[in-house]
Amino acid sequence: MKRPSPRAVRWMLIAAILVVWEALPRLGLVAELLLPPLSKTLVALVNAWPEYMSALFVTLYEVILAMLIACGAGILVGALVGGITLLRNVFLPVFSSLYAVPIVILYPVFTAWFGIGSESKVAFAGAYGFFPVMLSTAAGIRTIDEQLLLAARSMGATVPQQITRVIIPASIPTVLTGLRLGGALTIIGVVVAEMLTSAAGIGYLVTSYRTILDSPHVFAGVLMILILSVLFDTAARAIERRTLVWQTAGRRERASSKEDKATLAMPAPA
Amino acid sequence: MANVSNVTRLRETPAHTAVEVSNLNHVYEGREGKVAALEDISLTIEAGRFVVIVGPSGCGKTSLLMMLAGLRRQTSGTILCAGRPIVDPDPERVGVVFQEASLFPWLSALDNVEFPMALRKAPKDERRRRADEMLNLVGLQGFGGRYPHELSGGMKQRVSIARGLVQDPPVLLMDEPFAALDEQTRMTMGHELLRIWSQTNKTVVFITHSLTEAVYLADEVLVMSARPGRIIDRIPITLPRPRNYEMMASDVFGRLRDRIWQQIRTTP
Repeated sequence: MKRPSPRAVRWMLIAAILVVWEALPRLGLVAELLLPPLSKTLVALVNAWPEYMSALFVTLYEVILAMLIACGAGILVGALVGGITLLRNVFLPVFSSLYAVPIVILYPVFTAWFGIGSESKVAFAGAYGFFPVMLSTAAGIRTIDEQLLLAARSMGATVPQQITRVIIPASIPTVLTGLRLGGALTIIGVVVAEMLTSAAGIGYLVTSYRTILDSPHVFAGVLMILILSVLFDTAARAIERRTLVWQTAGRRERASSKEDKATLAMPAPA
Repeated sequence: MANVSNVTRLRETPAHTAVEVSNLNHVYEGREGKVAALEDISLTIEAGRFVVIVGPSGCGKTSLLMMLAGLRRQTSGTILCAGRPIVDPDPERVGVVFQEASLFPWLSALDNVEFPMALRKAPKDERRRRADEMLNLVGLQGFGGRYPHELSGGMKQRVSIARGLVQDPPVLLMDEPFAALDEQTRMTMGHELLRIWSQTNKTVVFITHSLTEAVYLADEVLVMSARPGRIIDRIPITLPRPRNYEMMASDVFGRLRDRIWQQIRTTP
């Protein structure tokens, strides 16, 4: 018997989870207040569609701005800290420690500074996503193979050429990983901020429906965030795959050392 | 065998100097004060010669090569190449092949070979033509689209050689280029290098730890002493060309290898 592909198994698992989601409350094994059936959740979502769409729009807007801040500042600061020894020695330990701090504790400060509108969410989520982007950019630049730079210099590369043609392409893989992590954190940051203090967005909807014990509407919001995160991750992975063809393309027809051995049989040259 | 006449003609033309090193000294700041790395090195390499440098680990072979490549500055003394001093890397006068992993993994073999010309903004079609030519020369026609990780160790070094030669420099410097390869591939690559050398008439300065490789490849072997590195012997390799694998079993080959070994062994 042929074994099913991992992809097929994955889809079967998702289908099974959806079936269980529907079945458990229907069979009375779980109270509908704790877990409303999938169908009721979808009905709630469709009935309140305009409300959810405008909330999604707010959340997306905040996520995109926060990602721009996290990625832009993260790459810039990461490049400086990774590339300049003095900055690295002074700041890298500080940033690494800050990464471990649960920044959410500062969210009340953000609302005091930026109000309860979108600005505080963008600022908070931007700060939240900044650290992984910055740290991986710094690591990517720091771990470049010296031999590559030496080779480039031997070919007469100027310092700007060394940056654009060696340092940047060589650090892209680690930076992309950082962007994917940082991006996921900004989504978390925005939703958490919306749930704590706000008047708009999916996080706000979830919180406000929870306070009136309207479970189907709560789960409709959860479902939307779930889909948003998965879509982001899928897109980020697709970009990584496309950009890093040179790392993964080799599986098809790996070159053997046959080529080298073949020449052994050749007549002796001068 | 068509290449033999070529080599003979080269030997008969009045030799001109490809590389001239005079009174080269290098001192660096170590943990315990100044360390003399290279001491009073003077040497003349005629155009078209294949010169191999051997010596104990840490004798400054690689430092010397870095200085010939313009990648490191000597404390005193001059290095002339094609009559002009070497101050900075100049790929039109000196090509360099490193030990390993110096190909850019994000570029295909062809783009790697084109890289030095791309730095100089050479026209696209000229770059492509030259790089194709070089890949053919090193026996990699049809492999231009492969990425380095899709190539075997020997093939990677072929690409490195092609890259070193793409701007047609008169001098090719090689820093233990085959040290990371397995024995069989290494022998094949040495042989291939001799073929490429005879087809291009380059001056080659080659660093190795392998005495067999040194004798097999060289016109002349320079032996360096332990720190401070000095040149303590110049051994002309009188084996006829073209070289072949059978020569390795000959008495002459054994005696030459032994002579080099005695020099290195007795160096303080």
